[in-house]
Amino acid sequence: MFPRPIQQAPRASRIAYQVALPVALLLWLLPLLGVAMTSVRPASDLAQGNYFGMPSYLAFENYADVFRNSPIAHYILNSFKVTIPTVIGCLVLSCMTGFALAIYKFRSNLLVFFLFVAGNFVPFQILMVPVRDLTLSLGLYNSTLGLALFHIAFQTGFCTLFMRNFIKALPFELIEAARVEGVSEVRIFWFIVLPLMRPAIAALSVLIFTFIWNDYFWATVLTTSAETQPVTAGLNSLNGQWVAAWHLVSAGSIIAALPPVVMFFAMQKHFIAGLTLGAVK
Amino acid sequence: MAALTLVNVTKSFGKTDVIKGVDLEVQTGEFCVFVGPSGCGKSTLLRMIAGLEDVSSGEVMINGARVNDVAPAKREIAMVFQSYALYPHLTVRDNMGLALKQAGQSKAAVAKSVDHAAAMLALEPLLARRPSELSGGQRQRVAIGRAIVRTPKLFLFDEPLSNLDAALRVATRIEIAKLHRDLDATMIYVTHDQIEAMTLADRIVVLRDGRVEQVGAPMDLYNDPDNTFVAGFIGSPMMNFLHAGALGMRSATMGVRPEHLAISRTAGQIEGTVSHVEKLGGETLVYINTATQGLLTVRLFGEHDYRVDETVQLTPEAARAFHFDAAGLRLR
Repeated sequence: MFPRPIQQAPRASRIAYQVALPVALLLWLLPLLGVAMTSVRPASDLAQGNYFGMPSYLAFENYADVFRNSPIAHYILNSFKVTIPTVIGCLVLSCMTGFALAIYKFRSNLLVFFLFVAGNFVPFQILMVPVRDLTLSLGLYNSTLGLALFHIAFQTGFCTLFMRNFIKALPFELIEAARVEGVSEVRIFWFIVLPLMRPAIAALSVLIFTFIWNDYFWATVLTTSAETQPVTAGLNSLNGQWVAAWHLVSAGSIIAALPPVVMFFAMQKHFIAGLTLGAVK
Repeated sequence: MAALTLVNVTKSFGKTDVIKGVDLEVQTGEFCVFVGPSGCGKSTLLRMIAGLEDVSSGEVMINGARVNDVAPAKREIAMVFQSYALYPHLTVRDNMGLALKQAGQSKAAVAKSVDHAAAMLALEPLLARRPSELSGGQRQRVAIGRAIVRTPKLFLFDEPLSNLDAALRVATRIEIAKLHRDLDATMIYVTHDQIEAMTLADRIVVLRDGRVEQVGAPMDLYNDPDNTFVAGFIGSPMMNFLHAGALGMRSATMGVRPEHLAISRTAGQIEGTVSHVEKLGGETLVYINTATQGLLTVRLFGEHDYRVDETVQLTPEAARAFHFDAAGLRLR
């Protein structure tokens, strides 16, 4: 069997593995640990230059302060206003495009599919100016709706790729069987294909949720004020030109990192393998 | 009335002609079996009748109406797939009732139809289970049940038994035959297994390379084959084809079924040595290597002792032999 379980490796490799693993883990988590430490560091520590040592005391009031002294609650609300419509919009569109591209044979099928895929290869930085101009002329600049619409448009390409391939892997006889039985195409989509796509929908919703929630680039490009900025862009504005409130930024960051984690655990039970078991021999 | 009529139906995938002009009429209530070796186009023909494949040219008519451009959903047919194709997320009851529910029937009506079909196939204890909790035979029975729930005009079976083990295949075969009698429905059944074809069919359509070789009742095909292909395909073990010239006949090929080839240790027309013996209890199959006629099969009833490498003499039963010309066509 390959790869061999580490338990069967020579003693030296086993020891090296046992030493390297925690070190790698620590290195990988170091930035996060740093942020977590800073979030409970009193402002006075930072003023005295105690950036990396032990905090003089655990300043949990930072978490209360960030809500009291900044519009973070509003930023988080904005983040939800952008993220949730994006997740829903992308999933609805990509389930339908994926179904069409996977099930129907038409002349330009592959071409359309490749267009969706190719969209993913466009570096989004080059779109910055035209997208800003577009949202401005549509009157959507500096609005959560504009940001959500842009994310939907840009994420649907990847989602379509994902969904199309997932549906393509479903047994096609199921669709043929339903067709012969007199089930209409719309109902085949709704009653046969959609229930079987549950794992794909769950996986994609977590992925897109995390991705959009953590987006910083477009948040800074398309929104400018506290009324519309999502939490990623908003936190940055806590650091003004004269004051750097790193302890608050850190506390805010930890809070902002929680929703994707919650999302993952909420969707976890839908990641089921073998949903199509028993469909075909 | 004809339940199904095919008029010079053809099918091409790109430049490959898969079905090369098939004419066929299936009467209402008939059990018609398409049989042929793999790749002969029998499944494609069935899928064309179902509407899952387009017809390249020709006409498909169900109950007298042309359906070439009618979607499968509107053809009022039911199809049983080789791979069962059960909806994995639905229970057996919902699998069977889906089409009726989609057609807008009331819950009570759907339940009644499903219960009736389940009773016919002894599926009642399984109704609450999902396909993954069923054995292969049970899954195929559910697939058949799903087909009969809707009382369609035409039943299509695409090699429904080939995923089942031998014992289950016999049991399900009997069940399908019984179902045909009870429902009095028109059924079209595709198989590569000539025993299934012989035991189930009212009429067999033998296909080869996208063409119909012969159509007829099982015993007509067995007793009166049109050509060497049908003669060889129908009947098991396969018919022996002898070089007729070497035996002083005028035809090119003489076909003799294994049971019509007499074997003797003392005298006969063809000499050979035993190469293999299969004892099946009820019958014994002896394979004999001959210098002039190649490998021949003899079927004997009961138990017989022949040793490998033993020299034996064979005599074909002239009255029951079939004669074919050089092109393989029957000389009558």
